[in-house]
Amino acid sequence: MKIVVTVKLVPDLAAAKRIDPSTKRLIRTGIDTVLNPFDEYAIEAALQLKEKLPDTTVTLFSMAPESSKETFRKALAMGADDAVVLSDPGLAGSDVWATSFAATQALRKIGFDLVLSGALSDDGNTGGVPGALAENLGVPGLTNVRKIEEIADGRIRAQRETDTGYQVVVGPLPAFVTVTMAVGEPRYASLKGIMGAKKKTIATLSLQELGIEKPVGSDGAKTEVLAIDPPKSREKARIVEAPDGATGAKAIFDFLRERKLV
Amino acid sequence: MRDVIVFVEHRGGQTRKVTFELATEARRLADALGGKAHAVVLGKGSESLAKSLQNYPLNAIHYTEDSDCDRFLLEPVVDYVEAVAKASGDAVVLVPNTMLGRDVAGRLVARLEAGITSDVTEICVENGRIGCVAPKLQGSTITTCAFKNTAYGIITVRPNAFAAAPQAIGAELIALSKPAGKSYSIAIENDVEEAAGEIGLEEAAVVVSGGRGLGGPEPFETLLRPLAEALGGAVGASRAAADAGWVPYSLQIGQTGKVVSPQLYIAVGISGAIQHKVGMQTAGTIVAINRDGTVPIGETADLLVVGDLFQIVPALTALVQEAKSAPA
Ligand SMILES: Cc1cc2nc3c(=O)[nH]c(=O)nc-3n(C[C@H](O)[C@H](O)[C@H](O)COP(=O)(O)OP(=O)(O)OC[C@H]3O[C@@H](n4cnc5c(N)ncnc54)[C@H](O)[C@@H]3O)c2cc1C
Ligand SMILES: Nc1ncnc2c1ncn2[C@@H]1O[C@H](COP(=O)(O)O)[C@@H](O)[C@H]1O
Repeated sequence: MKIVVTVKLVPDLAAAKRIDPSTKRLIRTGIDTVLNPFDEYAIEAALQLKEKLPDTTVTLFSMAPESSKETFRKALAMGADDAVVLSDPGLAGSDVWATSFAATQALRKIGFDLVLSGALSDDGNTGGVPGALAENLGVPGLTNVRKIEEIADGRIRAQRETDTGYQVVVGPLPAFVTVTMAVGEPRYASLKGIMGAKKKTIATLSLQELGIEKPVGSDGAKTEVLAIDPPKSREKARIVEAPDGATGAKAIFDFLRERKLV
Repeated sequence: MRDVIVFVEHRGGQTRKVTFELATEARRLADALGGKAHAVVLGKGSESLAKSLQNYPLNAIHYTEDSDCDRFLLEPVVDYVEAVAKASGDAVVLVPNTMLGRDVAGRLVARLEAGITSDVTEICVENGRIGCVAPKLQGSTITTCAFKNTAYGIITVRPNAFAAAPQAIGAELIALSKPAGKSYSIAIENDVEEAAGEIGLEEAAVVVSGGRGLGGPEPFETLLRPLAEALGGAVGASRAAADAGWVPYSLQIGQTGKVVSPQLYIAVGISGAIQHKVGMQTAGTIVAINRDGTVPIGETADLLVVGDLFQIVPALTALVQEAKSAPA
């Protein structure tokens, strides 16, 4: 079985000092990019399948700047077989529509039985790309999957999270599956994995190779950002020490009274 | 874009407050754009829900009881919403920013070649152009986005961010006809509700959340639930509590859980990791109870009480109950 995991690069939010106070703009320079943490769970789910199902390969796919290629070594070190990166200056500024339009052509070219992705990204947090990809590719989309129960006879059965509980769903392959963090903690790369990853291929694709002529990137995008502002800052918390329960409870109760919340 | 279409999320005809928020906002937007406000209600229970939505200022409510919407994942639902949008020719679709809403939204982007902005907390219209305000990058920036190059815009809207105001204007009920020759691929074999009967977390005016500090599942029932009930609210949790199996994931608040904006959020034994804060930092008032006075939740809270939750929570519940039973 051929599994493709779509991965997105996102700014390292944990490390970034995010807003320039003078310009009130996001600081983009000097921020490391990392794999979208949710995609690491998708890779983990793919590797679990690779262990279970014979002749399974795991290919990573990302639409990302050429300069970021090496970031994918970490994911290859976890155990994926190879990576394909769609890089093109014409892609800069792509929104959900443009990203999914271009990535669709790339996924068609790569070929797959199963695509896995994270359900959300850490930066835009739209979660729109996987649905649009599944739609463009014309394959069933199983979203928010917490457990892949079975893949057999060209069908997949999975448990998916819903807002109030879960569902068991079944559909044919090829399919597009987004996973939640419940699939299991992403494994660490072993030393052997890290050494082996150095020899794995990271291929690149361009828009021309995919025959994409429609404008993508910021020209083709269907959304544009008009403004970026810092959030309204909250006043500093009042801090109350509560040596016993009654003191603490009274402090909260009085505060809620003051704000007319009780 | 002129018309505004609301995707109504419901379960067997039971819907959530966000539907009324979207219906109210749809009217305001449609007026600003010079178009009509529509709602789409699909699957079992739709007819009665459609009728009750006539209490909101919509022009048309499209509905179907087609059981395929409940038997198959997503595809039938998206077909119907797409059909209503295409019939309009030029529209904004409002969906709640929930798991289902996001799924529908992503599909519509491809079907309608649409723009999308997500987790929107404010919408403005200027010279016929829509601006959507949304917190991004874990709440560290607020972006305003607009649509371009397209006849369709999809907006996923944060629950509790908009006001709901009923107003009957005689909305027309329109029964949708089934698209011909469709077959659907993903069957729903089993649909389990784990948090049945709870007030929807996203719409609760008060959320009392517990974290690892609770130490096990029991205190959620014996400590948090009585406090939440006394305050007329719902119980939430941190990821650590859900991961430990103390509560179902459907109670989890944060980046990978639910995003809530209640009037009051009480964080009990929760340290306040950024991924948790993303889900609650727009709450009106935030109170934290933690034995450690240096935890990051202190940066977001209005009041941080440093002490033992096992002593403070029952005492607080008693005070709230007392106040409720005392004549005002
Ligand atoms: C990609 C990603 C996504 C994530 N998504 C989410 C998400 O959606 N939601 C989420 O919540 N987390 C999420 N997390 C996890 C997050 O980083 C934290 O690990 C988690 O929120 C911690 O939960 P906690 O505050 O309950 O636990 P802890 O951080 O362990 O905090 C427990 C707190 O309880 C206090 N405490 C203990 N005993 C007592 C007592 N007797 N009285 C008073 N206080 C006490 C302690 O002082 C401590 O501050 C995510 C992480 C990643 C990497
Ligand atoms: N540029 C991209 N390249 C590859 N995969 C992507 C890209 N953008 C989004 N995705 C996939 O779609 C998921 C959700 O991203 P988003 O819709 O941007 O929140 C990510 O976790 C990725 O798996």
